[in-house]
Amino acid sequence: MLKALDISTSALIAQRTRLNAVSGNIANMSSLTDETGKPNPYKAREVVFQTDDSISLSGASGVKVAEIKSNNAEPLHRWQPNHPLAIQDGEWKGYVAYPNIDLTTEMVNAMESTRAYEANVGVMEITKNLSRETLTILA
Amino acid sequence: MQGIFGGTPIAALEHTLTFAQRRHELLAGNVSNMDVPGYRSRDLDINEFHNALAESIDNAARPVSHTSGPYTRDDLYSGPRKATEQVVFHDGSDVSLERQVTEMAKNQHLHGLAITTMRSQFALLRAAITERA
Repeated sequence: MLKALDISTSALIAQRTRLNAVSGNIANMSSLTDETGKPNPYKAREVVFQTDDSISLSGASGVKVAEIKSNNAEPLHRWQPNHPLAIQDGEWKGYVAYPNIDLTTEMVNAMESTRAYEANVGVMEITKNLSRETLTILA
Repeated sequence: MQGIFGGTPIAALEHTLTFAQRRHELLAGNVSNMDVPGYRSRDLDINEFHNALAESIDNAARPVSHTSGPYTRDDLYSGPRKATEQVVFHDGSDVSLERQVTEMAKNQHLHGLAITTMRSQFALLRAAITERA
């Protein structure tokens, strides 16, 4: 019975990781340079979930984060020739490369992740209720 | 002479509780994997369990040893059953949160029912042993 708590916990961890990635994406919507200061717009990170059979009992499985992928979509180019980070030559001369992050998509992902987190907390409550009921046999 | 629990439904209630607890684990796993692409929900067949339990009770009532039906598994409710009738979403998953939560609520109700009945059975036994109502 308590294994169900482990299964739900795995989902909480996975959804928290996803929400962290979404938060990072939204926070970095205007990050034009990388950690070293070179012009390189931030790439959105996508969390990939996978069924985790290591947390398993009676055929029920948990969930885990398989990997965190970077979204390699083309950056958004905005015409800002006077910007200090404007591209100096080539096809995109005079443009500035911005991260290709869609705020609406990120917000929907955040909401979905939050709802899934809440659903799993609800399942944990039910699991605790079942355990508590079972213990009342002893009373 | 029968054991102290002979003639009481406590054994059947115990099986019901075990079934409800295992089913809860599967349903919890379904909710956990809600966002996994391609995941198919898992469940136990409650009708099959009821039929098996009824047959088991009937067989237990017979005095001679009677082998149960043509089952291939030792434990009728030990394994998951892939749900087949549900809608598959665009990511290949078929986990409907509403359905899972409803099934979980029903399962919790079954669990509570079995617990309550079991407690009253124990109270009756205690009354008989102590000769007090």
